[in-house]
Amino acid sequence: MLLHLLNRSPASSGVAHDVLRAMGPDDRLLLIESGVYGAVGPQATLFSALHGRCFALADDLASRGLSECCADWITVLDMQGFVMLTEETQRTVSWF
Amino acid sequence: MRYGLVVMGGPYSHQASHSALRFAQAVVDRGHRLETVFFYHDGVYNASRLSAPPQDEPHLGDAWLRLAESQGTELLVCVAAALRRGMIDEREARRHGKPAYNVEPPFELAGLGQLVEAGMTHDRLVTFSP
Amino acid sequence: MDNPQTILVMLRHAPHDSSWLREGLDVALVAAALGQDVTLLFLGDGVEALRDGQQAGPLGQKGSHATLDMLAMYDIDDIRVDLESLTRRGLTVEQLNWPAALLSNDALPGLLAASASVFNF
Repeated sequence: MLLHLLNRSPASSGVAHDVLRAMGPDDRLLLIESGVYGAVGPQATLFSALHGRCFALADDLASRGLSECCADWITVLDMQGFVMLTEETQRTVSWF
Repeated sequence: MRYGLVVMGGPYSHQASHSALRFAQAVVDRGHRLETVFFYHDGVYNASRLSAPPQDEPHLGDAWLRLAESQGTELLVCVAAALRRGMIDEREARRHGKPAYNVEPPFELAGLGQLVEAGMTHDRLVTFSP
Repeated sequence: MDNPQTILVMLRHAPHDSSWLREGLDVALVAAALGQDVTLLFLGDGVEALRDGQQAGPLGQKGSHATLDMLAMYDIDDIRVDLESLTRRGLTVEQLNWPAALLSNDALPGLLAASASVFNF
């Protein structure tokens, strides 16, 4: 089981498409930096197949004014939660 | 667990260095050992001893130094990426006939082999990209 | 490093306009020189590195072909190219300047899961 990190807004980059193709059925996705723009509707629908395994970083949501509009099915994590995800998964792959 | 980080974003240009430093603190707080940070691509600029940011902004270079001091973390800077970008230590400056240098310990110029080795020997390797 | 591991290097950026391709290839070459089993995957804009007819860049960049020539020298023979990325760019495997095996559209997760280390450029 892998953890994928995405730091690009899906609206401006095709890399989100590549991440989704690269993810195995149990892999997790964590949206960081400008990737958190993808945690807000309507962009969030792109990740709707990842119910229960899609996460967004709290600090990056807050700094961008998105804390209140993150999709309710995406799990918001702090930095320690980020580290916990890396503990639970075998490897981390960063997409940018 | 033994952790390694790879930083590929330049300081003050991209969020990568900030994210990596905050992640590093959380790794330590959760009781892991942060053994290595490898700087590659524009991440090598993090190693400059000459950066002088405004006083009301975080000093990223000093933050890396504090990490090395408190955790014994190795700060490895890809030598090929560094020399191309004018990041150079005393020894390489002498070898290339340069009048100055800007990379000092605990930052250390290193080969890419050490990145490959970190991927194999550390329990986790997490990359922060621009 | 006695036991060779499978190291996957993914190249996702086009040649010429940035150093990602060269710096990613350098990781693959060094891993191979250390005796590891390297798989190289061209994905997304990275497939453009394999387009035939490229020249050295106008500013004196070496171009990707010079670096690709090193692959054989370092015994990197597991070179794959993503079919969907080719198709989206109107390319076929016959048009490439390098012998690469096609990676079918659903094979990406399995390739990542099977690799001991993954470097994504």
